[in-house]
Amino acid sequence: MRLSPDQFWTYFEWLFVHSALLYGFLLVLVLAVLGFLIGFVVALLKHGPAEGFLQVSKLIGELFVVDIPGTSIRRVGAIARLAVKEAIRKKVLVVVAVFVIAIMFAGWYLDQQAQFPARLYISFVLTFTNYMVLVLGLFLSCFSLPSDIKSKIIYTIVTKPVRPTELFLGRVLGFTAVGTLVLLLLGSMSYLFVVRGVIHEHEAIEISADGVSGKTSRQQFHSHEFVLDETGNGITNETKGHKHVVSKVGDKIVVGPSIGDLEARVPIYGMMRFTGRDGQVANDGLNVGYMSEYHKYIEGDSLCSAIWTFKNVTRDSFSEGGLTYDMTISAFRTYKGDIVTPVGGEVRFRSIDGSAVTEPFPFKVKEFQVDQRSIPFTGLKGSLNEQPADLDFFKDIAKNGEFEVVIRCQDRNQYLGMAAGDLYFRAEPQAFWWNFIKGYISIWLQMVIVICFGVMFSTFLSGPVAIIATLSVIVLGFFGFFVDDIIKNADSDVGPVASLIRIPLQSGSGTQLDLGNIPLERAIRVVDKGILICVQTLSKAIPNLNELHTADFVAYGVNLFGGLLSRHLTVCAGYFLMTGIISYFFLKTREMAA
Amino acid sequence: MATTTASTNPSVSVTDPTNVIVETRNLGKIYRDFWGRKKVNALKSLDIEVRRGEIFGLLGPNGSGKSTTIKLMLGLLFPTSGRAFVFGKDATDVAKNERIGYLPEESYLYKFLNAEETLDFYGRLFDMPASVRRERTEQLIQMVGLQRARRRQLKEYSKGMTRRIGLAQALINEPEFLVLDEPTTGLDPIGTREMKDLILRLREQGKTILLCSHQLADVQDVCDRVAILHQGELKELGRVDSLLKVQDVTQIHAKGLDEKTKLEIKELIARSTGEMLRMDNPTTTMEELFLDIVRESEQRPGRRGSGA
Repeated sequence: MRLSPDQFWTYFEWLFVHSALLYGFLLVLVLAVLGFLIGFVVALLKHGPAEGFLQVSKLIGELFVVDIPGTSIRRVGAIARLAVKEAIRKKVLVVVAVFVIAIMFAGWYLDQQAQFPARLYISFVLTFTNYMVLVLGLFLSCFSLPSDIKSKIIYTIVTKPVRPTELFLGRVLGFTAVGTLVLLLLGSMSYLFVVRGVIHEHEAIEISADGVSGKTSRQQFHSHEFVLDETGNGITNETKGHKHVVSKVGDKIVVGPSIGDLEARVPIYGMMRFTGRDGQVANDGLNVGYMSEYHKYIEGDSLCSAIWTFKNVTRDSFSEGGLTYDMTISAFRTYKGDIVTPVGGEVRFRSIDGSAVTEPFPFKVKEFQVDQRSIPFTGLKGSLNEQPADLDFFKDIAKNGEFEVVIRCQDRNQYLGMAAGDLYFRAEPQAFWWNFIKGYISIWLQMVIVICFGVMFSTFLSGPVAIIATLSVIVLGFFGFFVDDIIKNADSDVGPVASLIRIPLQSGSGTQLDLGNIPLERAIRVVDKGILICVQTLSKAIPNLNELHTADFVAYGVNLFGGLLSRHLTVCAGYFLMTGIISYFFLKTREMAA
Repeated sequence: MATTTASTNPSVSVTDPTNVIVETRNLGKIYRDFWGRKKVNALKSLDIEVRRGEIFGLLGPNGSGKSTTIKLMLGLLFPTSGRAFVFGKDATDVAKNERIGYLPEESYLYKFLNAEETLDFYGRLFDMPASVRRERTEQLIQMVGLQRARRRQLKEYSKGMTRRIGLAQALINEPEFLVLDEPTTGLDPIGTREMKDLILRLREQGKTILLCSHQLADVQDVCDRVAILHQGELKELGRVDSLLKVQDVTQIHAKGLDEKTKLEIKELIARSTGEMLRMDNPTTTMEELFLDIVRESEQRPGRRGSGA
């Protein structure tokens, strides 16, 4: 699981510092102007310029002056209740039965010998639930209104004092209520499936003669080894992503429940910067030539360093055990050297003003695994105002909760690679069940967005066409980043038209388009550029469902940050508002009996 | 059971503008295809008024523009030309629907609901509180005689029962103005009679009714005024009794005349010893009138030169 720096912005950082609010306003403005222009052109063709302008202005005025204030909660509730009854009486809950069957036979197709069974089970249930609920939302929302229009039932609705706002709200709330009910049922069953699938017990066997070490019995395709300390307590080694507490009770050695597989670590992330070989602030780390630019590197035995700045880190966030932090640093070797010994590095903790610095804590890189470390709160060796001192972490270093962590590579001509998410502090973990619920809240938000788009499309398209349109939103929502990547990397010689021409010419995309006609080539480039800009704009206008897909957080045992969830909630509210306004204008201007 | 007879409503002043419930001014509708090309001119410059307290009939053969007129009045369609006003408000104004009841030609209702749920749902759409909804639901179920079927889903209803629940939903808000599109379609003779009695009772309660029907006898029985449409044009508009009167024929009803008098009736009326009971014009039937208008309209397009 890779986290990007934007994922650990706080909600207010995202909203104000990173200008989400400003972009939101701009988007609203652009959509409003675009909507007005399109409406005006249509009205112009029908009524002429003056009357057309009046009609469009009246329509907009009615939304704010008449229809929003006149919206009745009882009418919205009536339409929502109807949607729920319709869904239930048309046997929507069969989805739950399908899910039950799927997880009943999950053992047949899930790898029970997987290295991290909890991760596999959680990913499976969350992903499966996610797709099922999205498909449910898709069908519920796209067919209802067109079906009412086709069967003319809409005649008896819109001839009552029902406003377009109520039609949209009622349907969205109704379908959301049905989806929520289904999600609750699926979520409860998923939780039981995961917990029952993961929880297991071992017995201590093969105990050594001195009674302080041994092995556990084999359960669920694994066993552990353990060593007890002088107090008779210990922890097993980690296998399949978990450990067990082992303790001596009387003459008997008892193996406790598993720990570490169903957890919600609370990482505290910081912002990262680099210094170069000269020790000065650099724009970025070094690139060692990999295609992937996720990790940036620092050179060993030089002034290169990676510096994280942490904020709002307080003593309350940690247990008595000390300041725990995790690292997932990678190494890049320019010479093989001693291949058995990992590349070494060091960590220092220092105050923002640099007055207090700890002595370096050396480490050896543990590739492809989480290196879990901790330091005590007090008695840290270091210097205070350039004088040797025993430091108190929260008193001397993390003043006001702010401090820096500096990592350097110790080995000459070797490199350490890292990204912002590769060093974080582990606060007191949250309950797994709450993280699980937050994962389902993410699914719920995706479902609401799909329902909003489904209802919006159904206000002006027939059922099957609305399905295709909403499905396109879902597909682009999940795979829109491909479009982004294509557009970012595409130059005008490999645009859609140029590519089409290259096929019969058997011309590779790496070469310049050569048709022997420069004006034609220029024209193709202009058209391609235009198409790419259109596609890019379109990809921005649709929701990034991939960003809302947070199953990895739950599966990898990382607490889903409140800030991230709040952002998703805000994005969902934004799409709700946007689709609501578009639906309003379509419903208001649509002839229901045409 | 009340006897089905049409009667005029003398309490209503036809000159008072506040008594006009529906008014159409030069109302026209052209249906166009996807590309904006003209498909059919469904309604041409319709000017009619429906006055408070009357039963107004809208007649015409299939495709004459009756349904289009109703849909324009209800805001289900937007006019191509002219305007329609209901209660003095534009027909597209949702607020007017507070005072309107509409029974469509087919009962377009949710088949998965039962009668109680249906009425409760439509009651909610009028923002009625729960106690009022319960009371109205009970009254209407009694009125349309669906007590025994109140908990059955509408998909199990016969056509007649569906019409009844359709009428009940149209009355849920105690509307001042009721639009009934083919209200007797699908009803048996007894049901038809009950429906006509109900329409007359509603008129007596002060409601205004716009009735659109192919059942000419029904229209003749209950309507005060009618408008006859053909090919989207208004052909005739006036009071039913005036329209049905044969103006150029005199009809004499007499009794106690002797044979001689009978033989010389044409000369003797003035000096007859018999008692003159009635002297008026005979009336035709609505069906005859309707067919005459349609025949004439096909030969000579445009508005006929009569009316009340």
